[in-house]
Amino acid sequence: MRMNNKLGVFLLGLTALALLGAGMARAEDQLDAETKARIDKYEQGPATIDVSKYPQGIQDNYGTFSQKCAQCHKLSRPVNCDYALPDEWSRYVKRMMHKPGSGIDSADGKKIYEFLTYDSSVRKKAMLDDKLAKLSADDKAAAVAKIKEVHDKYDNK
Amino acid sequence: MSDELKSNLSQPSDAGPTAARSTMPIWIIVLTLLLLFFGAVYFDHHSGWFDKQVYAPYTSADQLALYQPKSGAAAAQARGRPAYEAACGVCHGSDGLGKLGQAPPLAGSEWVAKDVASLARIPLAGLNGPVQVAGKDWNLSMAPMGAGMSDADLAAVLTYIRESWGNKYGAVSTDEAKTARAAINGNAPSAADLARMTPGERGHAVYQKFGCAQCHGPDAKGGVPNPNAKTAEQIPSLIYVADGYTKDELINFIKRGERDIPRMNPAGPEPPHFMPQWGPIITDSELDDLAAYLLSLKPKGENLGF
Repeated sequence: MRMNNKLGVFLLGLTALALLGAGMARAEDQLDAETKARIDKYEQGPATIDVSKYPQGIQDNYGTFSQKCAQCHKLSRPVNCDYALPDEWSRYVKRMMHKPGSGIDSADGKKIYEFLTYDSSVRKKAMLDDKLAKLSADDKAAAVAKIKEVHDKYDNK
Repeated sequence: MSDELKSNLSQPSDAGPTAARSTMPIWIIVLTLLLLFFGAVYFDHHSGWFDKQVYAPYTSADQLALYQPKSGAAAAQARGRPAYEAACGVCHGSDGLGKLGQAPPLAGSEWVAKDVASLARIPLAGLNGPVQVAGKDWNLSMAPMGAGMSDADLAAVLTYIRESWGNKYGAVSTDEAKTARAAINGNAPSAADLARMTPGERGHAVYQKFGCAQCHGPDAKGGVPNPNAKTAEQIPSLIYVADGYTKDELINFIKRGERDIPRMNPAGPEPPHFMPQWGPIITDSELDDLAAYLLSLKPKGENLGF
């Protein structure tokens, strides 16, 4: 009986390894599928953020974010995606903003950027710190200054 | 009988023979697992996954003959099919019947029957505006999908179009494709000119060469109609790409294209224009220059404050 158990574990291990080997070999062919899966994963996450502890101005900006961004895509996409740096959000918001018919003017775009930058510095702090640590000293200092600028504008007001 | 034998015979046999048991050495297990792992990788790469196309691809000698190397027009047609599918088939269809609201048919099209120079002008320079094909009016725009092809590939695609789906208009030679290209490229900058230009200037030449202006406008300000596209039913402007993309992001987007354009009315028709996948068509150095040009378009002094 003991021998049977050992044989079972051994065979399971073999099967797992064989599948892993085949899977690894196929991974390179599935990049697009993985990118799509990544976006699907973001969109399956929560679509709302608890902003009750954020400053009132940021809560107002959350309203703009919810209203404007939901016109074209699920809110869960930006809420759960792997953007966290101010420059990443700046590019992303401007990219959306400049699409014809986006209905996002520069004032709205700035509110959305400030909300996402603030939210990332709180809710995605670990991811943000990790990304900051990988930047050059100059880029890191610039990013930290941009985050501080948003906090200075809204905190304690 | 010896004393020793007597002694042995007198001993009671109280136990049968036993086999010694020892644990299998761990290195054998690890080695076996590793061999199986690499075996699985090798199997995946080389086995063909037991597909009958791999192990028994032909059912007759006639079928085998179909796959033999061809010469002349037949070779050009065989070479043209994959190039056609990659560059033209998405809109004109694998069956050459076109797609309503997207691209006119090539099967039975009088344009395919025209002389080679007239036909070649379409993939080389693109086509924008009203055109009548097989008695129907079309008003669309097509990027010059053949501008980046070699003369041999262009000749092969044109041959495939002229000799497929019931068309019988004859093969196109590489020389004919070359002559047609030379006639169209009369104003294109020479290699010496290109060498003297800045990356942005070269990028502008690339923008013109590949007909980006057909959809995004001569000044890249967009505005070409794209019915039912979520982007206000128009093709987007490019003058603000510097705001939204790093150079790498922009190049990757151009390479990848965007096949599925979000619809303004989800129940409405598919927007006729989409961003082609330029990766296989524009070279890396041209893409680099094109990105430099596009990133330079942002109006000076404009600052959104974030």
